[in-house]
Amino acid sequence: MATVEFQGKTFTVDEDGFIESYDDWCEEWVQWVKQQEGIDELTDDHRKVIKVLQDYYEKNGIAPMVRILSKLTGFKLKQIYELFPSGPGKGACKMAGLPKPTGCV
Amino acid sequence: MAFISSGYDPKEPMKDRITDIGPRNYEEFYPPIIAKNKGKWAYHEILEPGVLVHVSETGDELYTVRVGGCRLMSVTHIREICEIADKYCDGYLRFTTRNNIEFMVDSKEKAEALKKDLESRKFPGGSFKFPIGGTGAGITNIIHTQGWIHCHTPATDASGPVKATLDVLFEHFQNMDLPAQVRVSLACCLNMCGAVHCSDIAILGYHRKPPMVEHEYIDKMCEIPLAIAACPTAAIKPKKVALEDGTEVKSVEVNHSRCMYCGNCYTMCPSMPLADKEGDGIVIMVGGKVSNRISAPKFSKVAVAYLPNNPPRWPEVTSTIKKIVDTYSKDARKYERLGEWAERIGWEKFFEKCGLEFTHHLIDDFRDPAYYTWRQTTQFKFTD
Repeated sequence: MATVEFQGKTFTVDEDGFIESYDDWCEEWVQWVKQQEGIDELTDDHRKVIKVLQDYYEKNGIAPMVRILSKLTGFKLKQIYELFPSGPGKGACKMAGLPKPTGCV
Repeated sequence: MAFISSGYDPKEPMKDRITDIGPRNYEEFYPPIIAKNKGKWAYHEILEPGVLVHVSETGDELYTVRVGGCRLMSVTHIREICEIADKYCDGYLRFTTRNNIEFMVDSKEKAEALKKDLESRKFPGGSFKFPIGGTGAGITNIIHTQGWIHCHTPATDASGPVKATLDVLFEHFQNMDLPAQVRVSLACCLNMCGAVHCSDIAILGYHRKPPMVEHEYIDKMCEIPLAIAACPTAAIKPKKVALEDGTEVKSVEVNHSRCMYCGNCYTMCPSMPLADKEGDGIVIMVGGKVSNRISAPKFSKVAVAYLPNNPPRWPEVTSTIKKIVDTYSKDARKYERLGEWAERIGWEKFFEKCGLEFTHHLIDDFRDPAYYTWRQTTQFKFTD
């Protein structure tokens, strides 16, 4: 596993840039992923998606299904893609510190 | 090589981004004769193995030469295909649903010249680049998957066994000497990408050992409820485990007596790998079909529970398949697919004639529907 140094913090990441452990998540990680994902400015909407993902993950141990994410945040899938151009999995989950999506992706 | 930009600006990833344009319209690539006669074809004939003629209501004739493709091919090879198409077919060609290549021309003379050229092309190792065949009641290309070339869940290779099998069955590719067409497919794990569940003969990668659980990483890398829900036999349950250094982590426990090594949990969770050199091997299935001709479509059934992975030529696998094809070829009636033949003579006779051992592994034991696969009748034949 590779390591990333950013704003004085060190993160262990895999080859797709997902953080090794959810426990290592912090504000600096959000800023690092923001830069990686080509997001200009973090809005309250971005924060809301991340908060919903993290609350759901802490409570249930899994990332929410896309329709649940839409329902909980009130954002349609199109809006989520506008916020996170890589999409809810590669973009939002990565920024929220969740494990990498698995299965036939 | 030094970086050469395509014009994409990583600082502004959404600028000038083109999206949702879909594939090119197939009509852009029609040979003129096909564009002209679309929807007007009157009849067709197979002139010889690998060569078809379609005759239109307008009197136009379209000659098609079908050649085998290795599916996994280099750009150099595709360029050679293009070069042939440029030379004989005005730059037009197509690929079939079994990954063969079809060159189309409008006269018999052109087809003859094309055939002669195709037959002369070989790789330095000696194998045909473009073997002509794959039509009618023979054996055409093998639909297969990624194997050790690219996938992370395979129990066997794809390209290797396919090459070994088609070498053994090559005469049937270039001839139409069977009762009906025999479709052979391969999938390297029981995700069954492709057509193994509905092919006359199917080669399927299979594990025989339960997954290892990497307790240290599982909670970090996996969404544990997904791994639990991935199991068709409910062999996985959540469990807290103490690591060597004393920290307690969330993990799972695999009940080995319930595990049938499907590998679904590994698909969902990278911390549960199960590939094993000695354990992994190949299952042979037979008797599936997708067409509605005479009988309804069928699933293929397991005929050989395990054959070892024996790279690079998989001799056990290829000899078993050859045996099944030879027996079917001798015994079945005209137009009879392998599954129809086995059902007509009875599966006990299928095993006897093919010389395959019937083991308890072949008896279905998966949930309620297993019951319907047992014999609830006194009708059977004695076998030797």
